[in-house]
Amino acid sequence: MQQFRQVKKIGVVIGLILMGLILGACGEGEGANADGRTTISIYSTGSQNVEAYWETVIPMFEETQDEIEVNLVFIPSGTGGQSTMDRLIAAKQSNNDSGIDIYEGTLSDIIRSENEGGLFYQLDEEGIPNLSNIDESNLTGANNMAVPYRASSVVLAYNEDAVADVPDTAEELYQWIKDNPGRFAYNDPSTGGAGSSFVLTAVYNQLPDEAMNIQDESIMDDWAPGFALLRDLASSLYNDGIYPQKNQGTLDLLASSEVDMIPAWSDMALEQINTNMLPSSTKLKQINPAFTGGPSYLMIADNGVDERKQASEAFLDFVLTVEAQEVVIDQMYGYPGIRWDLLSEEDQERFSDVSDGYRIFNGGELSEELVKRWQREVAAQ
Amino acid sequence: MSRLLKGKVLGIGLVMPSFLTLLVLVAYPVMMSVRTSLQNRAGEWSWDNYRYIFTEPLISQNIRHTMFVTIISCFFVLIIAYGIALYLRFSTRFFSKLINKLYLIPMFIPGVIAVYGFINFYRNNGWVARLIGTDNMLPIIYHVRGLIMINVWFNIPFTTMLLLSALQGIPNSIIEGARDVGATKWQLFIRFILPLSYKTMLVAITFLFMGIIGSFTAPFLIDRNAPQMLGVSMQQHFSVFNEIGQSSSLAVFMFLLSSAVGCFYIWSNMKHSKKELS
Repeated sequence: MQQFRQVKKIGVVIGLILMGLILGACGEGEGANADGRTTISIYSTGSQNVEAYWETVIPMFEETQDEIEVNLVFIPSGTGGQSTMDRLIAAKQSNNDSGIDIYEGTLSDIIRSENEGGLFYQLDEEGIPNLSNIDESNLTGANNMAVPYRASSVVLAYNEDAVADVPDTAEELYQWIKDNPGRFAYNDPSTGGAGSSFVLTAVYNQLPDEAMNIQDESIMDDWAPGFALLRDLASSLYNDGIYPQKNQGTLDLLASSEVDMIPAWSDMALEQINTNMLPSSTKLKQINPAFTGGPSYLMIADNGVDERKQASEAFLDFVLTVEAQEVVIDQMYGYPGIRWDLLSEEDQERFSDVSDGYRIFNGGELSEELVKRWQREVAAQ
Repeated sequence: MSRLLKGKVLGIGLVMPSFLTLLVLVAYPVMMSVRTSLQNRAGEWSWDNYRYIFTEPLISQNIRHTMFVTIISCFFVLIIAYGIALYLRFSTRFFSKLINKLYLIPMFIPGVIAVYGFINFYRNNGWVARLIGTDNMLPIIYHVRGLIMINVWFNIPFTTMLLLSALQGIPNSIIEGARDVGATKWQLFIRFILPLSYKTMLVAITFLFMGIIGSFTAPFLIDRNAPQMLGVSMQQHFSVFNEIGQSSSLAVFMFLLSSAVGCFYIWSNMKHSKKELS
């Protein structure tokens, strides 16, 4: 009984602290700038390496000047990042300030924004001089609405000691999986991009190249052969069809030699090879046709406050400096957003293995449908 | 103000903070999810979401799986925890004193860390497999077995604590008296100890059921990809499929299941207090 009472006491104390925190949080205001400083908020999403990136770059930026304070709101992947877009749209419709200044998103978010009548500012070199560092074609792809500040792609990661015949094409990969039962794993596509890229390419490899740009739902009827392939592969996968959770789940299996080959994000895999979380026998390779990948875009949300627009532009300008881009390469192992020739030759060398390119999926909300159907037809088969 | 009224006001005043917290943090979100669960994607009132969760084979598999895991886990936790509690109550040996100090430890290990430890321990080439040989290893991780094991591990401390406090509330005099008139150990257990502690068992079952049915971390990391526990399925519908209505209806369904168990507990309690009053 004595112990029980103590636990109760602790419970009461914790409850009081929690209540205090909740009440405290309610009183926090938006963009308070009594001392003449401008506060902007950046909403970012992704794996932990993205969060670590911002935690490095934001202090670097704040050191260069003292008028702008940057507030990071980080939403880990798979925890409802889409809600940030919903917030922007809701704020636009009700004419409110969304409290979001910089938003990190994808091309499909730009399309969604156009449909809602434009949520973001048009960007130009007047506000962001360093835009000239970016390859021209990458900017027009985003309608000058967004800055592609880094990129990464899904690649094949394998254990060099165990895999003799490394597949070059997707067909060879599927054959390899069948020839080596239990030695390949891809993660649950609803929990991370590496697995969903494997599912996506398995389905779209059965279709013409341009299918990846179709957003019409009628294409879902043509998915059947791809799902048949995935069902067929299931029994040859790790543990007769176990799909670990999150991108890290399959990387863990590769690290503990439970499997020999996985699809993985280039940046995550490179980082973990460098920090010895993956053994040095781990090699990366892009197959043909390639897995998907793509740039991450930064957009400036239109809240109608000029001061915050200028502050956001200054921040984006900093992100595109060689100094900040080197953090992308050195710390995130991502592909830089600026032109390769601006970087050192040493850096260019390091990426020769994986810079074979990637495909970009432009199906918009179809990717949700794909995961739904995967859950029904492949996971629960 | 009369003394009686003062007492009443004081009573209500004391209850108010927790009542208001409950209203804001529990009742309001519950009402909100009931509302969203009754709206379709266009924002109109409809039963679509409930039709989905009761007709979609995927979800009915998930519901069956959740009930199976919950009931089996509750059963094992209760049996093991009651056993430990009995041992701790009636044994005065050194070993029982040691367990008495150790059994609460799992309560203070954060869930995710415990789950990762568990995975590393029991995975196909983990510690246990290395000791007994990979070929002799029964698949535990990514199997419902593993999920039930970790549920048992998580829930034993609290359940044991509850049951132990109930058993310690049984006066020694009753037991000694019964022994003196020649009751066997078995009679002692069936006639005295069990009846005097079964009410606490009901409390324990309620806590266990609610805790396990809504669990997320362990099933997310340990269970197979399908069928899923409802907590995992709900998260997937909410943040991957963006089906807010469907995930709300799952939440409401889970809430109803839990409140059914809660009602059973309250009902059995009231029956008891009525008996005591009359």
